[in-house]
Amino acid sequence: MEELRLVTSAPPHLKSPVTVPWIMQQVVFALLPAAVWGVVFFGPRLALPPLVLSVLACVGFEALDCLAFRRSLTVGDWSAVVTGMLLGLSLPPGCPFWIPLVGGGVAILLGKQMFGGIGQNIFNPALVGRAVLLISWPKIMATWYVRPAFVLQPAQAATYATPVDVVTSATPLGIVKAYGYPAVWETGPNLLFRLFLGLIPGCIGEISALLLLLGFLYLLLRKVVQWDIPLFYALGLSLVALLARQNPLFHLFAGGAIMGACFMATDYTTSPMTSRGRMIFGFGAGALTGIIRWLGGYPEGVTFGILTMNALVPLLDRMLPRRFGVKKA
Amino acid sequence: MKLRTFPQGVFLPHHKEDTAHLPIVRVPEPSRVVLPLIQHTGAPLKPLVNKGDTVKRGQKIADADAFVAAPVHAPLSGKVAGIEEWAHPTMGKFQAIVIENDGKGEEERYEPLPETIEDLEPERLRAFVREGGFVGLGGAAFPTHVKLSPPQGKPIDSFILNGAECEPYLTCDHRVMLERTEEMLLGLRIMVRACGAKRAYIGIEDNKKDCIDHVANLLRNFPIPAEVVPLRTKYPQGSEKHLILAILGREVPPGGLPLDVGVVVNNVQTAAALGRMARTGLPLVERVITLSGDCLNKRGNFEVPLGMLLEDLVDFCEGFTAPPRKIIMGGPMTGITQVSLAVPVIKGTSGFLFFRNVPKKREYPCIRCGRCVAHCPMRLLPYLLGRLAEESLFAEAEDNRVLDCVECGSCAYVCPAGIALVHLLKLAKFEVMRRKRGGK
Repeated sequence: MEELRLVTSAPPHLKSPVTVPWIMQQVVFALLPAAVWGVVFFGPRLALPPLVLSVLACVGFEALDCLAFRRSLTVGDWSAVVTGMLLGLSLPPGCPFWIPLVGGGVAILLGKQMFGGIGQNIFNPALVGRAVLLISWPKIMATWYVRPAFVLQPAQAATYATPVDVVTSATPLGIVKAYGYPAVWETGPNLLFRLFLGLIPGCIGEISALLLLLGFLYLLLRKVVQWDIPLFYALGLSLVALLARQNPLFHLFAGGAIMGACFMATDYTTSPMTSRGRMIFGFGAGALTGIIRWLGGYPEGVTFGILTMNALVPLLDRMLPRRFGVKKA
Repeated sequence: MKLRTFPQGVFLPHHKEDTAHLPIVRVPEPSRVVLPLIQHTGAPLKPLVNKGDTVKRGQKIADADAFVAAPVHAPLSGKVAGIEEWAHPTMGKFQAIVIENDGKGEEERYEPLPETIEDLEPERLRAFVREGGFVGLGGAAFPTHVKLSPPQGKPIDSFILNGAECEPYLTCDHRVMLERTEEMLLGLRIMVRACGAKRAYIGIEDNKKDCIDHVANLLRNFPIPAEVVPLRTKYPQGSEKHLILAILGREVPPGGLPLDVGVVVNNVQTAAALGRMARTGLPLVERVITLSGDCLNKRGNFEVPLGMLLEDLVDFCEGFTAPPRKIIMGGPMTGITQVSLAVPVIKGTSGFLFFRNVPKKREYPCIRCGRCVAHCPMRLLPYLLGRLAEESLFAEAEDNRVLDCVECGSCAYVCPAGIALVHLLKLAKFEVMRRKRGGK
């Protein structure tokens, strides 16, 4: 018999086909419906540049970082694309071109690479980028362009003398912060319906709860994410909304709550490893989102709500599951 | 059909269709067999024969005074060609007795047991099991008589026969349950009587529906209370702890044994071999193994003499369709890769798998996806234990329950980053145990 060239390796000799790039690609796919809707609704001129530049910035800065520090190139794992998508989708349409560039640079360099790259960061990189943009350029980050037909105003006052392509408009949460909660219900009929479908001003990819939920359903079916964080996020946010005597559905569908609950808070690296930890994490992030919206200075609380809970993840990860063979103490 | 199961674990592609339908084929006696002096979990044996001695089939050729040990018998009649170091499928190399077949077919048998098992003294049955050299034939190879000897104050109420066969590719237990059912059920009665259990369960995964029906049929008018328990096909259902959990809802405490929860578990093939000895007086000298994979000319389930060399088995299977790059003894989840065809079949050999391709999964840093945690059947945090092992933080690994790990490999299977988690956990367990024994 001819000489065999045999390899040895540690078991298991079977490996699941799921890989890191595959997972990241699934997240990109799941975000596509919301992204496409953003481009259709706001128009390519307003929505495409921030999206594209954000992805390019994230991938580019990660590549530059790898080159600068002579580490092997990691952009092939697709995680920078996901960060770029998430950041781009949470930017206001029509923002200046340098906003996604700065945001992407902060997200990747400060939010991810400084901690050691993929899997090492404590805070969600896209939210780090967004938080820095929110704090540094609050006005730009709260200027919402939209086609005139979809302008939201507390009272139907303004009419436009000259026909224009796009105008700025308040967002539902902006109206709540500026004019009070009842005012938002005077902006027109079927508010919840419009929020759910995404027929309102807002961030590029955050307006349609429906399409985001569809994307999340895809991830659930692909077993990429679990349902626990979004569900408990919704519970936390709803509870605070009820305490504030406001409609929980309004809070779930407005702003970035669905995006945050389904795609930001579920980020593997920055969420807990155990089911119990994830439930507490999700509930806390949802409740903080509601509290910031209700009592805080910002109209929207998703970013800071999730970032705050990100900081608690190492602590939550210290909770061990019940030990096999040991009854509950 | 109501299926029992346990929490977590993984659903694997089970690849059993290649050989599950193939009846057991008896392999002709080879010209030579090699019997390592350790084929069980426990103390090594001392040879009872010398070079040049003639031995008969069934003759005891090695034994030990230790309680946790099982003797070895000659699987064919012949001459002891030597007692020498030989390639061992799990231990690298070990002392082994080499027997050249003289073709005379002389036999030495023990006295068979009467069919009235339930009237026999448990003491006598345990001695019978020990003399027969029985160990767990599922792969762990723990001496069977030790399992059947519960210590004072730990009464056994339930006996579980393990027919889960949860490892992919392997179908030898499947065929034994179908073709050796009478012998298996006789062996079951012996083991139940020996350990004093009140009730017997036969756990079978539902990818073997034919076994479930067949065994359940034969259990009608069975002399002792016994039932077949259909199990969901999920890995590692064949792990003792998870079989007990699925069937009885009991969890074996950390560091404990099944007998701590009043249970004894044994493999279906062990029972079948024991039943055969009870009828014929022939001790454990052969077993059924599966030969499978993607490059063997003739795959199937084979009854082979213990000590038969892998190269002779490959010849019997008419060689390879393409040269294998990886040969595994056991299943693909826990099996050990082999470096040569000179290794013998030992008592714990459930099969050999031959693979042409060695797919490599690219390694990434841990992305904390939590799959290892979600799938670990022992509810451990493999990602954390793996990191602690990498950083040699073994005391911390012990605090985080690394010794609870059953080494099933589910964590490493599901890891999308291709991290060798179970390997790291085994390393940590090894180091923790070494330090416990006072090693530096």
